Amino acid sequence: MTNRKWEGKGSKSFLRRRQFLQLAGLSGFSLLAGGCSSSLLDSEVNGIFEPINQKVETLLFNPAKLAPEFTKSAIEPDALLINTYKDTPELDRNLFRLEVMGEVNQPLALSLDQIEKLPRTSMIIRHICVEGWSAIVQWAGVRLVDLIQLAKPKTAAQYVYFMSADGYYESWDLASAIHPQTLMVYEKNGAPLTTDNGAPLRLASPIKLGYKLSKWVTQIILTDKLRDSKGYWEDQGYEWYAGL
Amino acid sequence: MELSEPKFPSKPRPKQAILAKIFHWNNLIALLLMLTSGLQIYNANPVFGGREGWHFPDLFLLGGWLAGGRHFHFAAMWLFGLNLLFYGIYIAVTRRWLHRFFSNSDRLVLLKGQNQKRKNYALHRLAYTLIIPVLLIALLTGLGMYKPVQFHWIADLFGSWQGLRVAHFISVPTFVIFSIIHSLLGLKVGGKRLTESMFW
Repeated sequence: MTNRKWEGKGSKSFLRRRQFLQLAGLSGFSLLAGGCSSSLLDSEVNGIFEPINQKVETLLFNPAKLAPEFTKSAIEPDALLINTYKDTPELDRNLFRLEVMGEVNQPLALSLDQIEKLPRTSMIIRHICVEGWSAIVQWAGVRLVDLIQLAKPKTAAQYVYFMSADGYYESWDLASAIHPQTLMVYEKNGAPLTTDNGAPLRLASPIKLGYKLSKWVTQIILTDKLRDSKGYWEDQGYEWYAGL
Repeated sequence: MELSEPKFPSKPRPKQAILAKIFHWNNLIALLLMLTSGLQIYNANPVFGGREGWHFPDLFLLGGWLAGGRHFHFAAMWLFGLNLLFYGIYIAVTRRWLHRFFSNSDRLVLLKGQNQKRKNYALHRLAYTLIIPVLLIALLTGLGMYKPVQFHWIADLFGSWQGLRVAHFISVPTFVIFSIIHSLLGLKVGGKRLTESMFW
């Protein structure tokens, strides 16, 4: 549900641009056609406004504010669509280890048994995809803040990277990562997480868009800086903060 | 289209306050950007029918892909929102809101009036007055989708996420229909001169 957009910057949109350039050249510059060909201005516009918007979004984000939770009857079992950017990795639950590393004093490599013994949190929240759809889902797992605290983070830690078994990667601001509703989950809608939904362990949170919610997470890396690679979709042009 | 006499026959062209023209221009440009980039976002997962639903043709889209649509939408929102805010301050400070919008006398004209020209004028004022709450609702529902956790009361107000999406989307046909009616009524009450006075 998280990783794949249905519209990419693939060959189709490239062709479309070329067609629009030709069209704009042929038809003069009507206001609407001019609007379409200005998709070329996409990254320029974003270069100016993403930093502004991110400042405002960070200001609006209240780390203590909880997203609304719903009743069991509100769960929409069929609404959560499966998006993956590549293939679906099958992980052996006995060999699986979650590593917590980077700017920490106590790097961890936890088995699923160890993770399941940690305090369990369940929430029924609205999952929102950048595409516009949403799904009310129950997730259960361990709070990310608990995992981070177990690893004794250094004060320099500002960002959290999530590495997935399929090669997907994401990064978050620390404040959102330690929000009480940001979980590493192994359960969805009362049943063990399925492979399609990110088993054995995935990120789930109501405070970020779906593409920030990595599936098949195997490494959590705390860093002091944001690297050039910010996330699979971000590196193609999607917004990094993506906070709700 | 019948072009009636200009409202002020002694003057060559009705005078508009420069600020009113600027707000009108900004609003027009902001809405054009918001509508086209909004439809680009819409197409990623149509409000009606989901992925299998009907998609808007490329001609009406801005941004080229979902991320591009979002970039333009979340850039033009500042022009749209701030323009509306300053316009609100402007009509409050100049007290334009008292005499430039649909009033009780317009209401009485529409109900009981005999003078067709005066009735058209009242209708014209009714149309452009009604678009103000529509603009505000578009802003509110947009904020509700942009920050559904920080402002979750907005989604609650519209019943559900789908309710919120529909409410936000409805502003598109509303603005298009309004633009047509508003232009026709403007021509009817003031002719080409009134229309030109609003732009140049």
